[in-house]
Amino acid sequence: MNKELPPGLALQKVDERIMTLNVGPQHPGSGHMRIIVQIDGDFIVACDPDPGYVHRGEEKMAEYRNYITNIPHLERPVIHDSCNILYPYVLGVEEILGLEVPERAKYIRVIASELNRCVYTMYWLAIYGIFLGHSTMFMWPAGDRELLIDLLEKMTGARVTHAHFVPGGVRNDLPPNFEDVCLRQVNYFEKRIKEYAAVFYDNPILIARTENTGVLSREDAIRLGTTGSVLRASGVDYDLRKKEPYDVYEELDVHSNVMKEGDSYARSKIPWLDMMESCNIIRQALQKMPKSGSVRVKLKPNPKGKGFDSVYKRVESGRGSLGCYIVSDAKPEPYRVKLSVGSFRNLIALPYLLKGEKLGNMPAVYWSLNYWPVEADR
Amino acid sequence: MNTATGIIKALNSGIKHLAIKRFTLRYPEEKLKFVGDGYQFDPSTGVGIAGSKGRHMLFHDKCTGCQLCSIACEGIAEAIAMVKVPEEYKHNKKAIMPQIDYGKCVFCGLCVDACPFYALYMTNDYELSSFSKEGLIYTPAQLQVKPFVSQDVEIKITDRGATHG
Repeated sequence: MNKELPPGLALQKVDERIMTLNVGPQHPGSGHMRIIVQIDGDFIVACDPDPGYVHRGEEKMAEYRNYITNIPHLERPVIHDSCNILYPYVLGVEEILGLEVPERAKYIRVIASELNRCVYTMYWLAIYGIFLGHSTMFMWPAGDRELLIDLLEKMTGARVTHAHFVPGGVRNDLPPNFEDVCLRQVNYFEKRIKEYAAVFYDNPILIARTENTGVLSREDAIRLGTTGSVLRASGVDYDLRKKEPYDVYEELDVHSNVMKEGDSYARSKIPWLDMMESCNIIRQALQKMPKSGSVRVKLKPNPKGKGFDSVYKRVESGRGSLGCYIVSDAKPEPYRVKLSVGSFRNLIALPYLLKGEKLGNMPAVYWSLNYWPVEADR
Repeated sequence: MNTATGIIKALNSGIKHLAIKRFTLRYPEEKLKFVGDGYQFDPSTGVGIAGSKGRHMLFHDKCTGCQLCSIACEGIAEAIAMVKVPEEYKHNKKAIMPQIDYGKCVFCGLCVDACPFYALYMTNDYELSSFSKEGLIYTPAQLQVKPFVSQDVEIKITDRGATHG
């Protein structure tokens, strides 16, 4: 045994009390990823998340397709949140091609992305209920989500993977009588999600399970570079809709929800509060939207960049800041597209949070990070 | 709030929902209604018309065999192939029309946007399952048929909850 082993294969010296446990990649409590945990009895000593099982090469694929045909495949990483994952790409391409977006299209985009954020969060919440063994919390969000999916279907034509945003606006105008239907269903949706408080968020069993587990302090949250609901649950008021308003978010009154505790309970409550805020934003946008007008500027069939140019745009998605870096040259295809996603940034907090926790608390901590494996692998 | 009242409140909330109507779509018997005929595109204004993105519909009297739909699909799904059809129309000199493989199609609708002659649009027919892979390939003759879809159920919101009805 003189041969030197590569670092991944090197034998580790371990205490005889410590056992290594593989959670995943096919475990219902991990999604398409593996979490390697080392446990001493019931307590986690070390944890090593291992993502990458659903890597699809979206960024490389984008280099071989033109600016328009990139749209259907770039939204695949998060099909529930497909409007939000396309948003930074579309904003970047608009800057490269020098397009001016009509005012009505900007409002339609805001409505679509807020509806999509709610749809994503409801799906996330349903799985969080399953992780904690609370099957009512799986059934209710999965059912109420249909209200908003129905609205998105009326708007865009598809239940998921809408391919609705294009450089220069949106694909189609709102259907007739959409404002009334949207207002009615969003009002009912808000009334419904308020009922979750009694059965889930004020439930002493849930509070006992999630309170003071996986506490992320304010300093650590900033140091580790977490975003979105994880950062806001640790007491940092940072919401890109407020700090760097894109499209028409400047004209809307956006309130970002902040909690100081930084534990799993706070991290699970922030997305729920965000959904109510989304309902509020949709109502404002429906009121302020111009009643008629163009929704799309005419594009040339195969638009080209003007020269070597780079642009970075970011938006607030359901999982935190979502950035898109596009480098263009004078060709119809982009030179490079890089997605910087919130899921991957939040995952880095997992080893810090799980150290010293009980193994039974692992699902409660892991899914509260608002992590979506497919988006992180891209 | 102490533990006992919290648990009673949660149970109470669950019991209250026994009286609320069920939000379930009884799918094969009932189908959700969509807006309009389907997704269409108006090349003169460059804007689409809202509607469901389902199976395509091809107007033989408008298609010129220009292949723009096939080119639009090239980088996406490569589901559209141009096939020979009998020479019937003067404007279609090459006598080719799109044939769509629904095993590959992702229903993004960019082929509809690409058509400059109003020849292709998407209907609200989404039940395309088949026992064989060949059954998913729709020839120009099959695409010409307008689907019959009975979709009449809508989401209704009442004081006792939302239902499909």
